[in-house]
Amino acid sequence: MGLPLMTPQTPITRIRVQYAKGEALRFTGHLDLQRLWERTLRRSRLPIRYSQGYHPRARLNLASALPLGFVSDDEWLDFWMDEPRPLDEIQDRLSSSSPPGLKIKAVQSVDLSEDSLQARMKASEFVITFYDPQNKQDLHAKVAYLLVQDNIPRSRRKKAYDLRPLILNLEVITQSSGEPGLWMRLLAEPGATGRPDDLLDQLGYPNTAYLVRRTQLILA
Amino acid sequence: MTLSHQETLQQRVERLLPTVVKPGRYVGGELNQIVKPWDSVQTHVALVFPDIYDLGAANLGMALLYDILNQRSDVAAERAFAPWIDMEAALREAGIPLFSLENKRPLADFEIIGVSLPYETLYTNFLNALDLGGIPLYSAQRDKDHPLVIAGGQAVFNPEPVAPFVDAFAIGEGEEVVLEIVDAYQAWNLADTSRQDLLTRLAGIPGVYVPALVSVEYHPDGTIKQVKPIHPAVKLPVDKRLMAKLPPPLTHFLVPNVEIVQERVSVEIMRGCTRGCRFCHAGMVNRPIRERPVAEILAALGTGLDQTGYEEVSLLSLSSSDHSQVIPLIERLKNLLTERQVNITLPSLRIESFSEELMDILQKLSPGGGFTLAPEAGTERLRNIINKPLSDADLMATVRSVFQHGWNSLKLYFMIGHPQETLADVEAIAELCKALLQEGRRLAGGRVRVHAGISTFIPKPHTPFQWAPFDHLESIQTKINLLHEGLRGSKIKLTWNDPQASLLEAWLSRGDRRLAEVIHQAWGNGARFDAWGDQFRIEPWQTAFEACGLDQNFYSTRVRGLDETLPWDHINAGVRKAFLLEDYQWSLAGEVRPDCRQRCYACGILSSFNELRLAVPGGGWGCP
Repeated sequence: MGLPLMTPQTPITRIRVQYAKGEALRFTGHLDLQRLWERTLRRSRLPIRYSQGYHPRARLNLASALPLGFVSDDEWLDFWMDEPRPLDEIQDRLSSSSPPGLKIKAVQSVDLSEDSLQARMKASEFVITFYDPQNKQDLHAKVAYLLVQDNIPRSRRKKAYDLRPLILNLEVITQSSGEPGLWMRLLAEPGATGRPDDLLDQLGYPNTAYLVRRTQLILA
Repeated sequence: MTLSHQETLQQRVERLLPTVVKPGRYVGGELNQIVKPWDSVQTHVALVFPDIYDLGAANLGMALLYDILNQRSDVAAERAFAPWIDMEAALREAGIPLFSLENKRPLADFEIIGVSLPYETLYTNFLNALDLGGIPLYSAQRDKDHPLVIAGGQAVFNPEPVAPFVDAFAIGEGEEVVLEIVDAYQAWNLADTSRQDLLTRLAGIPGVYVPALVSVEYHPDGTIKQVKPIHPAVKLPVDKRLMAKLPPPLTHFLVPNVEIVQERVSVEIMRGCTRGCRFCHAGMVNRPIRERPVAEILAALGTGLDQTGYEEVSLLSLSSSDHSQVIPLIERLKNLLTERQVNITLPSLRIESFSEELMDILQKLSPGGGFTLAPEAGTERLRNIINKPLSDADLMATVRSVFQHGWNSLKLYFMIGHPQETLADVEAIAELCKALLQEGRRLAGGRVRVHAGISTFIPKPHTPFQWAPFDHLESIQTKINLLHEGLRGSKIKLTWNDPQASLLEAWLSRGDRRLAEVIHQAWGNGARFDAWGDQFRIEPWQTAFEACGLDQNFYSTRVRGLDETLPWDHINAGVRKAFLLEDYQWSLAGEVRPDCRQRCYACGILSSFNELRLAVPGGGWGCP
């Protein structure tokens, strides 16, 4: 499925950006992040493609919504430009226009006909850091207990779903601080996206007990 | 150790944040935020806007002071806003004080707290912010180790209701005086003398009012007997401060990471207004009119867009279409808007000065959407009384032109509750709206929408109506009901202000110093966010009035004697009391006072500030 055509002309260049969303933007949600990106693009003064109409908007496409309160090392975004520019110039301009908390990691050119990032999303990986010291054995036991379940019935926004098939991997890790944490890979397909905070709630941790970092997006 | 203390506060706050609504309000970290190492500056100023971030972060006055103060290498200005109800509860439960967004320091760590009070319904939030910041509420309770509490903003042209809570008020325009206050503070700090000495030093700065050095005595009937200085450093009245020439506009805008009410590059194109609408506080206290040159405005818009990446620009003033260069300005803006793909908003357009030419340009720049006009009253008679003269025929002609230019939604603002208003004037509002809708449909078809927004007249200090009474609640309700009936079945949308909220504003805007205790008690009774329809309750206020033994009606529905000493008479906003009185009497006679750009009516601004005007010639000061 292609993107909705926002302008009558065909966009000339499609640029993919890999970026990190740091702690300064931890509480900037998905919609706010889109606006933040539009402003970053506008400040860069690159020849970005706008929608037509009374309220022109920059055309951009984020791979996967990151829930409020999470940070990430690996986010992806596509935007379009009316004329080509060298990739290193694009990266420089984006870096110097980025607000605190947004770090541009890589920029590449993408074929116009390629599927959208959202359509290609398969899974996300996360690392969980607990604010308070955890007993590693307990954590292992909790994880093991969770993973032996065939079904983990939960509800989100009053909609019932099974969390178990969304968990592809879940492991206890030792972090650089020496403290135990969690690493997980959760399914992230349209209509079947696992939420780390739901998983942690299932393990008995409220969302005030930890920080979630997305470490990798897995695309088809 | 300060550092570990600071980390602790930030970490403790971070753990609370996932439990509250819109936590991004409490973290700062925006693009263009200025964070100076705490120990690198001599003086720390916390700028407090006592409403939530969503509003405060969009406030231009606050942004201006933040920029001016931070330009000084010896000063750090940081921001703090009122926490929403959930965050207040979370902070109180965790024992965390209200803190600044930049260095995450408790308010009590700052040397100076600068509170912005643009409207009266922030007063309980102001007390709440002090309390959450760990600062004693009353000036008299604060000693050398407490921050100095300064208040400024449009509301403090009558400082008395909050006088006991404030160490010094900055009356009028803050650009220069804010720096003088910091200088005085630093000099005092060096001298290492008493807090009383600090207050007297501040009282010597033009435009600064130190209420602790001024006593108020009352007659047995509650009116004021005498207001007098109790220290030789104090001279009454306190003249407001104003800039003879407006400095170049602000271009340093913080770009929020979460949505706030207005996200755009705003440039004030003009300050003051010459129209002389008698109900309009802003029009009276912000005199004289001063225009910014077109080139300066354009340059500021360009820089602002470079720095923010915003999608919209806004030209601010009390009456944008009255800027003498408004057409060339907007003509020259076109290129910038097209090149940057941004929209423009131009609020506060006057019906009389709104030319066909301007309408043509605006419609091309931002087509479709709504158009807003403020006739204020339904009849020519009442419009003359409030000095916003406009014939029904002219209004109809403007509205016709609006629809012909392609707008199809019209919002009209009206005011009810003026003492000279009759029920016929109210009925006329409904008839007028219906007539305008009918004309709109004739010209532009069935998609035309008309919306009538109704506010309640509040007699404001320093205006010709400062003696007039606020309407009775029953009478206001009768008028709203009448509008409902009159518009029934018309498809005109009708919205109105809560009459009780207007009553609160009437008490607070014309109160005397005794009202401070009412505010304190109302806050104690749980009043918060009085400007918010979903939070405001009248009961804490009524209980407070009773407990203080004060009569509500004394402040609201009472007609004030023309010879009375009014609680704000010792504050000189530039317009003479004798002029206001004359204008009030003209009003009672239905007499209109024309726009004063052509001819001077000696309101007092020139006699008060003529030296200043002469000292800065060619500054765009618009008096004839």
